[in-house]
Amino acid sequence: MRYSTSLLALMMASCISTAIHAQQKLFQQLPSKSTGIKFSNPLNETEGLNVLQYEYFYNGAGVAVGDLNNDGLQDLYFTANMQPGALYQNLGNMQFKDITKDAGKGIGGKADSWKTGVTMADVNGDGLLDIYICYSGKRDDAARRNQLFINQGNMKFVEKAKEYGLDDPDYSTNAVFFDIDNDGDLDMFLLNHSTNKIDNMEFARYKALTDSLAGNKLYRNDNNHFTDITLKAGIIQNPLTFGLGIAVADINKDGWEDIYVTNDYNEPDYLYINNHDGTFSERTKETFKHLSHFSMGVDIADYNNDGLPDVLTLDMLPEDNKRQKLLQMEESYEMHDLMKSQDLYEQYMRNMLQLNNGDGTFSEIGQLAGVSNTDWSWCPLLADFDNDGYKDLFVTNGYLRDYTNKDFLRYWGDYKVKKAMEREPIRFMDLITAMPVTPLKNYIFRNNHDLTFSNKQQEWGIDQPGVSSGAVYADLDNDGDLDLVINRINDPAGIYQNMSREQDKTAYLSFKLHGEGKNTQAIGAKVYVYANGIQQYQEVNPGKGYLGAVSTQLLFGLGKAAKADSVLIVWPGNKEQRMKDVAANQLLKVDFAPNAALPPATMLKPVFTKTDGLIDYKHEEMQANDFKRQLLMLFMYSKTGPVIAKADVDKDGKEDLYVSGNGELPGRIYNQLGNGSFEMNKGMKLEDPAENCVSDATFFDANGDGYADLYLAMGGYFNCDPNTPMLQDELFINNGKGILVKMSENLPDVSANSKSCVRPCDFDNDGDIDLFVGGRVIPGQYPLSPLSYLLVNNGKGKFTVADVPFAKTGMITDAQWIDLDKDGRKDLVVCGEMMPLSVYINKGDGFKDKTNDYFDQPQNGFWFSLAVKDVDGDGNDDLIAGNLGLNTQIKASPKEPAELYYADFDKNGNIDPFLNYYIQGVSYPYVSRDELNDQIYPMRKKFTSYKHYSDATMKDIVAPDDLAKAGKLTVTETRSLCLLNKNGKLVVSPLPMEAQFSVVTKILTGDFNEDGKPDLLLLGNHCDNRLKLGSFDASYGCLLKGDGKGGFTYVDQSEAGICIKGDVKSASEIAINGKNFVAVGVNNEGISLYKEK
Amino acid sequence: MKKLIFGLLLVSQLGHAQQQYDKAPFTDYIQPAVFSLSMVMMHDVVNPPAATRFYSYATLAAYQIIVKHNPSIPGAASFIKSYPAIAIQDSGRTYDYKVASVYAILEAGKQLLPSGYMLTEDEKKLIDLFKKDQVPDSIIKNSVMVAEGVVKQIVAWSKGDGYGKLSTLRRYTPLKGEGYWYPTPPAYMDAVEPNWRTIRPMVIDSCSQFKPKPMTAFSKDTSSDFYRLNMEVYKYGVNPTKEEMTIAGFWDCNPFAVSTYGHMAIGFKKITPGGHWMNITGIACRKAKLDFDQTLQAHMLAANVMMDAFITCWDAKYSTNRIRPEAFINKYIDVKWKPNLQTPPFPEYTSGHSVVSSAVATMLTYLFGDNFEYTDNSEEFWELTPRHFTSFWNAAKEAAVSRIYGGIHYRDSVDNGVDQGTRVGTFVVEKIKKAGIGPLAKN
Repeated sequence: MRYSTSLLALMMASCISTAIHAQQKLFQQLPSKSTGIKFSNPLNETEGLNVLQYEYFYNGAGVAVGDLNNDGLQDLYFTANMQPGALYQNLGNMQFKDITKDAGKGIGGKADSWKTGVTMADVNGDGLLDIYICYSGKRDDAARRNQLFINQGNMKFVEKAKEYGLDDPDYSTNAVFFDIDNDGDLDMFLLNHSTNKIDNMEFARYKALTDSLAGNKLYRNDNNHFTDITLKAGIIQNPLTFGLGIAVADINKDGWEDIYVTNDYNEPDYLYINNHDGTFSERTKETFKHLSHFSMGVDIADYNNDGLPDVLTLDMLPEDNKRQKLLQMEESYEMHDLMKSQDLYEQYMRNMLQLNNGDGTFSEIGQLAGVSNTDWSWCPLLADFDNDGYKDLFVTNGYLRDYTNKDFLRYWGDYKVKKAMEREPIRFMDLITAMPVTPLKNYIFRNNHDLTFSNKQQEWGIDQPGVSSGAVYADLDNDGDLDLVINRINDPAGIYQNMSREQDKTAYLSFKLHGEGKNTQAIGAKVYVYANGIQQYQEVNPGKGYLGAVSTQLLFGLGKAAKADSVLIVWPGNKEQRMKDVAANQLLKVDFAPNAALPPATMLKPVFTKTDGLIDYKHEEMQANDFKRQLLMLFMYSKTGPVIAKADVDKDGKEDLYVSGNGELPGRIYNQLGNGSFEMNKGMKLEDPAENCVSDATFFDANGDGYADLYLAMGGYFNCDPNTPMLQDELFINNGKGILVKMSENLPDVSANSKSCVRPCDFDNDGDIDLFVGGRVIPGQYPLSPLSYLLVNNGKGKFTVADVPFAKTGMITDAQWIDLDKDGRKDLVVCGEMMPLSVYINKGDGFKDKTNDYFDQPQNGFWFSLAVKDVDGDGNDDLIAGNLGLNTQIKASPKEPAELYYADFDKNGNIDPFLNYYIQGVSYPYVSRDELNDQIYPMRKKFTSYKHYSDATMKDIVAPDDLAKAGKLTVTETRSLCLLNKNGKLVVSPLPMEAQFSVVTKILTGDFNEDGKPDLLLLGNHCDNRLKLGSFDASYGCLLKGDGKGGFTYVDQSEAGICIKGDVKSASEIAINGKNFVAVGVNNEGISLYKEK
Repeated sequence: MKKLIFGLLLVSQLGHAQQQYDKAPFTDYIQPAVFSLSMVMMHDVVNPPAATRFYSYATLAAYQIIVKHNPSIPGAASFIKSYPAIAIQDSGRTYDYKVASVYAILEAGKQLLPSGYMLTEDEKKLIDLFKKDQVPDSIIKNSVMVAEGVVKQIVAWSKGDGYGKLSTLRRYTPLKGEGYWYPTPPAYMDAVEPNWRTIRPMVIDSCSQFKPKPMTAFSKDTSSDFYRLNMEVYKYGVNPTKEEMTIAGFWDCNPFAVSTYGHMAIGFKKITPGGHWMNITGIACRKAKLDFDQTLQAHMLAANVMMDAFITCWDAKYSTNRIRPEAFINKYIDVKWKPNLQTPPFPEYTSGHSVVSSAVATMLTYLFGDNFEYTDNSEEFWELTPRHFTSFWNAAKEAAVSRIYGGIHYRDSVDNGVDQGTRVGTFVVEKIKKAGIGPLAKN
């Protein structure tokens, strides 16, 4: 018998290993039979208890992991909403025993109560993890009182919530225990939620109200009794709170724990910064540019290994086209404006990955990173699953029923009418069962080490569809890689064994810290591991994800390294403990024994220094919504200011500034005074702000008298019409005394459309300055090509329009004169929206389009800006071109281009522009069915339901003949690029990933860091876009250090010293008091001045 | 109202003796045909002004057919300026004008409505009814052909009314400053048809021909007239009587009231105000025992006067852009106040119910006489008890004031709306009178 048993075991083992080799997946889902975990979270929907009665009915339940009996194995507790929870003891080898019945009375939780989150923490500091269970649901208070099971040792627990003061009756989501005041014991933040969504948007008034059952709470631990200090500590407790996620971390690295709380619906998330005195300050708006709107779970972790914690919040934007078209999206500008007017900030429906810039700002780059669209997602977990030293991302996903399905929304109306006709009562369950059910896969992404992630659902074996809720990672089998545990609705919990160690022989280092005093688990301790030339950083903070808690044991992947070069532990209170040459592949149990002092932070002198107070100018943007005129554009064009230009207008040896009007005040000259400050020249009013929208300005000597004259290009969109005076540019001639006099008669009619740029150049070498004026857009007729102009100077400052091949070449955003063919004549390079970078060679007798000679393949982009500089020192001027970047929903490549088809398809006198881009390998129209119906009324007849439209491609919308006749613009590149001028070619030289965070609207070149090599300062952002695109705001000014050979590296924000919040509309270097400054015009803000090094 | 839909007509006829074709009046088929359009419009959530446009063209198509058959009935061109010459294309074949005209209502709906395809089923049912009535197949076939021919021409004419160009116009952006309309809870829907004034009217000359009296000026001052108007509405929201609630509910006619459950928003669909008055017209026709031609004429006139009333009203709405009571009260009086009815998504002044009900009541009073008593049971589907009215004006005034009870309109908007609608109605009545259309029913 013995013999045959081991033979069987051997046979099984070989089967398993064959299976592994056949699949090669990182994770193996283990069946209930082998793990012993049969737990599931079944939902029983009834006429009386369902999602219509309780809107958080499908929010799922959680799981917490921790070593409850200190045997070195991680145990599990699962909550179920309607059933008892379950406690599983880890027996080793991925086997578990359900000990719920034996572990103490009521450890499964209260029957008939709605259970939500669970957390494990050593609440009383006795060295044993206790269990805290949260309750919600529309029941009486007693049914909702949370429970605290105090660990008695030997896996026995006794409920003592009341005794500890934690039997809270709130609508609770989850709790986190951590030390808010560094006093050595664990305090508690209770995450709660309201049960009634308030539809009335007079939120400012609701914010003043307090709802103690819905608002979050903060409890201070006073010797094992918890005291509610919520309001005193500055925690918001209004009825708009819909807390779904919480993560605790020292976000600003000041040695004190901060808190990030997500809110579903309209209330913005909260970032509570620790004030070091037991209180917190809410700093969301100062810290983040925008937030996820319907925020769910949250994780905080350093994902780019720069030692700074980044923040990831989840939302519900689907990845695939079909569900984007079927489900409710955000398309109401009114709603968005109302939210902003009610101080609800910028919120968009997608996951947000907030990259910590280290200077108090964050760049939201979820779309660039590739993790923004993971559907109805709940639990984010940033952890290194493949042990390569970079944290990957796991996201649970799924909602039992698609109740935001737009067809369903209409179905209910029809259902009710039908029932009324049939004189039958309405049943909620009819409605509920009519909601579509779409099981979804969870997401897992591998960190690409370049700020981006790649989807690994298939390759890593996380591809089982279902409805998942809370989840944790933990090294359940102590083999040195992180396994996954997922709580699922109506399905057994998912247990995924990580095979990284087995398959790839990766190395790891685990830590179990034992903290000081009652903080036995060292919550808040920071661990830095240095190996393979990289720094890794983690905090001991189990409170993260969704409805659960991860382990206090930390695991670092070391790739193939045999050791960590050094390890630094920073204990709460900033006490340091260092270790050198720590061998890989072990669990280090570290007791509190600080052995190093924190070195004082060294302050590097930044490249730029912000200088306030030199110019008194505030810009206020006019309110316009261009999409009310053409709803299918991508961007607004109305917001063009402030525009600046510099020249020594009065020839006093100091450079002065022209600054455009701000909607109410006219544009002016600001004269530089002796002390370097600027004074508005009240005498000259340069344009009528009610009439004009200046989009660019340039000083040049128009009449050759040696004085700077001024050209103003007019742009705008919403309230201006083609061929009207509003769009006529203006020329101001300097009278030799620093006074600019309008000379309208010197300009021909250039009012055909709005313009973007004016670029002076003596292109014909006749000794006077001529002008290229780029056409931006024809108001009301996007995306038809506007007119651009070459204005030829007669030598006396009077201009005529020349006939040129680039008069109608696209929606021009910028242009530069550059002698590409070195014939002594300046050639013209132009760029624009949805067009190629184009080269027009100046032949002396005219211009020739030589784009194809200079580019191996056309560089079709959303180009916004162009700069010229010899960046590789070869004597040839190179180009730097600003583009859309990679941080948007719109993706484009030569293989999968973004395409814009346009024509008056319905012959109603209006251009119908349809952008298409690829989603999961197929090019789909960006237009939603609602937008399509609004654009072309008869489309209601063509697509009678959202479902009918959900798979439609361009050829389903427009007949093939019409499509063939339609205009088409193409984009194959959205990255901002450097183009090196080499051997008569412009050769792409990519810029760093940080350059792709946002739209680049202005580019300055110069040796900013004074190392003798040209650097780039990329400025940008564009916040007034189609609502579905959201605001592009991740740039605070991107300084790229040049290597003199055409290569650039990103200079981090603190070192660069630049922090521009908002949309940059103009930029110029200017000498102030003999020092070089950078002046930046920021929309709706003003002029920022930065002194160079 | 039992015979409102063809399905029920079909069922109810099984037990009865079939009509003799040559004696069959077919009058009973007109209202179900119009109601079929209402059903599709409910499905499509057609907004109130657009609904009357669809009723107008559909009933005009049918009217065109009876005009050709009955020389005593004046053609539409005699009161609709833009009405084109429309030929009856019967190819010399025998058809039945009643069969053709009822069918034309459905066919026009099919061609014009977004989900017009849903009417294919109703057309089949209607043909089944005619077959049961022993209309020969060839007659049905020829009549369908005639109907299709007329509808084609009506649809071509409709294309010139500006509807297709609505999408080319600038959409509504909430105006800066206080007192202007902006979207309201819970769905915060965009403004409905801000450019409806550009639609070509039927009988009236222009959208601005009947401007309302000036509205009470906006003020937040608690002693101001405007504040008093708000307090009146506020009171109905706080403490309405049962009767006021009943009246408000009876005239709700919100095509798409939205209820939210967390992330889910579900729409409650109802017939539009225009649809409601089309039902009332049907009830009156039956009560007055009008014949086929008169019944159709009444439906056509009701639809057209309402279309013009809506154009007039919508011009007022988007000239004044006045704030809704809910927005004002939430902002300045009580943040938690909710109106008894859901606030419709367009500016407040003037009240559409008041304008349209008054216009159509003026028309119906002319056609059926004053003090025409009837019981309106058309809202039974929505579990609303039938209401008895002593006259069309009795109903119209109740419809108007119901909007104050509902918490969605101010008193001046209702009073001045009634005045505005009456002027539209009177103008249209004068026009048709001149064209030779006299009262239809003798009291």
